[in-house]
Amino acid sequence: MGDQTPLWEQIGSSFVQHYYQMFDSDRSQLGSIYIDASCLTWEGQPCQGKRAIVEKLTSLPFTKIAHSITAQDHQPTPDNCILSMVVGQLKADDDHIIGFHQCFILKNINDAWVCTNDMFRLAVHNFG
Amino acid sequence: MAGEKEIWQKIGEGFVQEYYNQFDNTNRMGLGNLYSADACLTWEGSPFQGKEAITGKLVNLPFKRIKHIITKQDFQPTIDSCILIMVFGQLQVDDDRPMAFHQVFMLKSQNCAWACTNDVFRLGVHNIAV
Repeated sequence: MGDQTPLWEQIGSSFVQHYYQMFDSDRSQLGSIYIDASCLTWEGQPCQGKRAIVEKLTSLPFTKIAHSITAQDHQPTPDNCILSMVVGQLKADDDHIIGFHQCFILKNINDAWVCTNDMFRLAVHNFG
Repeated sequence: MAGEKEIWQKIGEGFVQEYYNQFDNTNRMGLGNLYSADACLTWEGSPFQGKEAITGKLVNLPFKRIKHIITKQDFQPTIDSCILIMVFGQLQVDDDRPMAFHQVFMLKSQNCAWACTNDVFRLGVHNIAV
């Protein structure tokens, strides 16, 4: 069955697995997946470039974090990129488990797939 | 950070408003016009390719009434001059209870107009009301 999986799905799901594994174990390593042209929007706050992104992620105010993926979808884009959307739950330190969703665009640059766009939101509704 | 909105945000907001307005207030037949010919839709994990297949899916969704309320929307430009949009909100179908949803769109400029080339939709099963 694995041979029938479209390439973008294989790359997308491999990236997603790698990303959250790194995030949960040592997020200072995440710089390897971004480039200088990458954009991150974290809970509505924009960050531009590998350095700023890694700074943002490593300064997030928790020590322990665990992500659990509920669903992930992958699509090819017209410019040969890959769009991935992830829905799941996370638990930071001793906080409650919270839903989150995240999307990524992956691009092949010099034979490596890097993340050029990353958007993250906690799944929280604000009323009023 | 306040001040003028970036162009991709303006275009993105315009698209989002048009999309959900058509979705909620029309028979959804016109939604196909928002997509490119080769667009991809993934609806709750099922893939649809091309404007026709996408329109077919959306027009035949099994409800009489639907209303979307957007909680959050984020926009980014991409390296290939596209616009990436992530939407989080709630929807209510007929008399069912409201549910959360997550949706991502990618827009590309084609023939002087912005078309949606990628659309991913999922109902939200984890969400907290604040």
